Amino acid sequence: MFVARSIAADHKDLIHDVSFDFHGRRMATCSSDQSVKVWDKSENGDWHCTASWKTHSGSVWRVTWAHPEFGQVLASCSFDRTAAVWEEIVGESNDKLRGQSHWVKRTTLVDSRTSVTDVKFAPKHMGLMLATCSADGIVRIYEAPDVMNLSQWSLQHEISCKLSCSCISWNPSSSRAHSPMIAVGSDDSSPNAMAKVQIFEYNENTRKYAKAETLMTVTDPVHDIAFAPNLGRSFHILAVATKDVRIFTLKPVRKELTSSGGPTKFEIHIVAQFDNHNSQVWRVSWNITGTVLASSGDDGCVRLWKANYMDNWKCTGILKGNGSPVSGNSQQGNSNPSLGSNIPNLQNSLNGSSAGRKHS
Amino acid sequence: MEKMSRVSTALGGNVLTGRTMHCHLDAPANAISVCRDAAQVVVAGRSIFKIYSIEDEQFVEKLNLRVGRKPSLNLSCADVVWHQMDENLLATAATNGVVVTWNLGRPSRNKQDQLFTEHKRTVNKVCFHPAEAHMLLSGSQDGFMKCFDLRRKDSVSTFSGQSESVRDVQFSIRDYFTFASTFENGNVQLWDIRRPDRCERMFTAHNGPVFCCDWHPEDRGWLATGGRDKMVKVWDVTTPRAREVHCVQTIASVARVKWRPECRHHLATCSMMVDHNIYVWDVRRPFVPAAMFEEHRDVTTGIAWRHPHDPSFLLSGSKDSTLCQHLFRDASQPVERANPEGLCYGLFGDLAFAAKESLVASESGRKPYAGDRRHPIFFKRKLDPAEPFAGLASSALSVFETEAGGSCMSWFVDTARRYALAGRPLAELCDHNAKVARELGRNQVAQTWTMLRIIYCSPGLVPSTNLNHSVGKGSSCGLPLINSFNLKEMAPGLGSETRLDRSKGDTRSDTVLLDSSATLITNEDNEETEGSDVPADYLLGDVEGDDEELYLLDPDHTHPEEPEYVLPQEAFPLRHEIVDTPPGPEHLQDKADSPHVSGSEADAVSLAPVDSSFSLISVSHTLYDNRLPPDFFSALVRDMLRFYAEQGDVQMAVSVLIVLGERVRKDIDEQAQEHWYTSYIDLLQRFRLWNVSNEVVKLSTSRAISCLNQASTSLHVNCSHCKRPMSGRGWVCGRCHRCASMCAVCHHVVKGLFVWCQGCSHGGHLQHIMKWLEGSSHCPAGCGHLCEYS
Repeated sequence: MFVARSIAADHKDLIHDVSFDFHGRRMATCSSDQSVKVWDKSENGDWHCTASWKTHSGSVWRVTWAHPEFGQVLASCSFDRTAAVWEEIVGESNDKLRGQSHWVKRTTLVDSRTSVTDVKFAPKHMGLMLATCSADGIVRIYEAPDVMNLSQWSLQHEISCKLSCSCISWNPSSSRAHSPMIAVGSDDSSPNAMAKVQIFEYNENTRKYAKAETLMTVTDPVHDIAFAPNLGRSFHILAVATKDVRIFTLKPVRKELTSSGGPTKFEIHIVAQFDNHNSQVWRVSWNITGTVLASSGDDGCVRLWKANYMDNWKCTGILKGNGSPVSGNSQQGNSNPSLGSNIPNLQNSLNGSSAGRKHS
Repeated sequence: MEKMSRVSTALGGNVLTGRTMHCHLDAPANAISVCRDAAQVVVAGRSIFKIYSIEDEQFVEKLNLRVGRKPSLNLSCADVVWHQMDENLLATAATNGVVVTWNLGRPSRNKQDQLFTEHKRTVNKVCFHPAEAHMLLSGSQDGFMKCFDLRRKDSVSTFSGQSESVRDVQFSIRDYFTFASTFENGNVQLWDIRRPDRCERMFTAHNGPVFCCDWHPEDRGWLATGGRDKMVKVWDVTTPRAREVHCVQTIASVARVKWRPECRHHLATCSMMVDHNIYVWDVRRPFVPAAMFEEHRDVTTGIAWRHPHDPSFLLSGSKDSTLCQHLFRDASQPVERANPEGLCYGLFGDLAFAAKESLVASESGRKPYAGDRRHPIFFKRKLDPAEPFAGLASSALSVFETEAGGSCMSWFVDTARRYALAGRPLAELCDHNAKVARELGRNQVAQTWTMLRIIYCSPGLVPSTNLNHSVGKGSSCGLPLINSFNLKEMAPGLGSETRLDRSKGDTRSDTVLLDSSATLITNEDNEETEGSDVPADYLLGDVEGDDEELYLLDPDHTHPEEPEYVLPQEAFPLRHEIVDTPPGPEHLQDKADSPHVSGSEADAVSLAPVDSSFSLISVSHTLYDNRLPPDFFSALVRDMLRFYAEQGDVQMAVSVLIVLGERVRKDIDEQAQEHWYTSYIDLLQRFRLWNVSNEVVKLSTSRAISCLNQASTSLHVNCSHCKRPMSGRGWVCGRCHRCASMCAVCHHVVKGLFVWCQGCSHGGHLQHIMKWLEGSSHCPAGCGHLCEYS
């Protein structure tokens, strides 16, 4: 059972993204009011706003934390066609005495000519890298060659996706067997039904990102995409938020079988598909072990999805945006959000009992 | 002249028609202006000056006003304006400082009427008086504004802004005598046309040049200004001090601003550089444009609403040499595409969720998405100009925290802290870890540990010391299997609960279960003395799951011999976890709709249980009697580890890997091992379990991992006495020959953890310094430094 802790965010317009840091003790929010706020969790569990500053001259779509090894670093992206990297300044100052911290802009990435819709730091083992995607359909990958110097970023790759991009996700796997991989979703709503999710993989030989896969079945606008944390799994799990929630598994076909130079081939299965949000699904987010997926949609609810031991995905909880549990039969799903433990959940609510059948 | 006025009257009462369209011009446009009849538009630029008529489907070129052989600088237009009372009267501002008026009623090809060469530099703007037929105002780069009476040859009055460059001049629509002018230094001046000596009022509107201004068509005191500081500000100038009513932040410098007709709070803007789009803003929602027109490929230079009372047609000219008509309903609406929700899963299973308040507040707040196929397209919400403003959109932010201690991942942290990974005999490690797992309610894991102990430490194979240990543990060596399975211990907690649950639950599956459990009991009784009702039920649960599980997990797993013997063991623990799951109290309310997992599997169960239970038991006997070598199980253990990893429990995989060490290492792919290690270490670091993480790194056998804590291990410190860098080894300073690691609080040499301030190099025992800093922020050594420890 969840307890909702409502926070007076005091953003002047819509909040578009929320992001926890690596240790889960800090939170960043960004809003159309062009500002980013940083929240710190106090000892008693309350969240306090410790910084709030104007970051862009347009709606800020996303905010994301870098691995703390690189310092307290945030990246944001905006409608104003830029992405920016911010760093918290440590030092004795008046701000600190007031319980406020100070963030300075380290760089502005101005390569896009249209709205930058998503920004994500690469997994730590790849170094300090940053990917952005923009409405003109280009994914850009930047690298800070010197991790101590956050003001110098070089544009390493430009990947053209042909479609207006809305979201990206790095494959978090740290295995040497998995090449760096990035999934891109598009919210292009033009009627021609094109696949809206593309997956690009880094090729060691050509030193370029090349398209590895396209999820042909996803033809509706995609609003969010997320690889599950890969804790030693040999395959990848990808969640897609479109008009419904979809979960795909990508099993790499053994390298020996394919020609060694080309991109990895994947065996792709859709393992779950839920339209319980009744309308657009806006966000998907994985728990830390990659066993529970949370999704939020136009119905204003957060739904939790979990696979049982049969790899059958079921709804294990519904949370209303204001914190009240959803009344009715489905409520029972709330009672055990056994997150992270590998207890296959015996219960399932009637939501999703019919969905989630295995089909490929 | 008569002909034209007829056309306009005919159009006067009609509703405008048209579509989004564009036409190519020969040259880049600098400005456009619409005729009063809303059927013609004039486009002016450095090398273009044409009138187009706006037809339903296209623009048709009507008249080219650039006549004559030699191109004159007088025709290089910076601005153009069409008189709003007289369809035949136009004025242009030339880049050479000339103001030209044009009379379309002239019979000759050359329509040029008058020429005013009074300004010394480029004229940026010309403006006709809205009610006076003959009054024209100009603003120039030379800092002067001039008012012309078209019946006279020269200017009537000159206004000096006392500053550089006038960027815009606009007659007030409501106040007969007032006009506003904007300047490059950020000021706005309000003038009375009758008093050229000094301005009525002046205020600083922007940081940097103010490029444009526009009077509100209805609100007499509202003036919108746009500047290079990327802002559009709306001023109320009726109050003694000009008051900023609204402020819109755009993404680039604002070149033009035009209030939208019939929409009190809407205005259109275009930018001078970088941004080629035209935005329509609702000034009450200053951050997100209400509409966006993306047709132009280069900077938009002129915008004009087609008719002063029609809010849906916007005309624009651009440097990309096109003239466009935009229909408001074809505009893209960034608000509609903007993501209304944010969601993030926290480390401890907490969820941060931000959502648009209207979505959260009520179910009815749901609106169909434009691209949603299930909603027919005609339901698409159109922006109705008359629609009342819904208010500023805002989001509700909340964090959903898991109850009970607030940490759902506490099992992970506890397990990581309490597991013993090395330093003791294998059997003990397994027992210890099994105990830890059991105490944390993770019975599947506990079982696994127990089985590992059996596999690798069965009496015949365990070195004598280990054997002693396991005997000493109190497990009777004669019956290791039974003891280690701990059927009895587990039964009261789990079995009874399960049975309770089942008896309340699906009746059909209940009977099946009871039946088969009965069979099992008999079997058990035959084979083992421990057989009783409770463990039998418990066993049954395992049996139930394993067939399914096996084939799912490992579809191509082919053991040539005795596959059934091996596999049930692996699947065995699975059911423990399932059994362990405490059912929700509401579970009973809808049994029909919520198939109990075990219930849904009941059919499969009823076919298999007897077989499997036999095999299970026979395996244990095979194991015990024949003393199979551990190698026999290595494939199984390997699969088990892989299973845990695939299930997201990399902790188990790594812990077993470390505990078993060489026994299994060679069977598992090196890369996979490394992957498990890095994943687990990453997880531990997330939870700030640095010590555990370091232990794992130390114990790892993989080279890539064990070098992780070899990197960046050198510290550079200063001597706390002479403040010079310490060069030599140890804690004795090479210069002043004193021990540098003295505690500043207790003045003893610190052994072990030494903490020091990087600013003044003073430090001491961690406890002492912490205590000291509670009371004071100054250095305990008395050097006056405000010490910082992060």
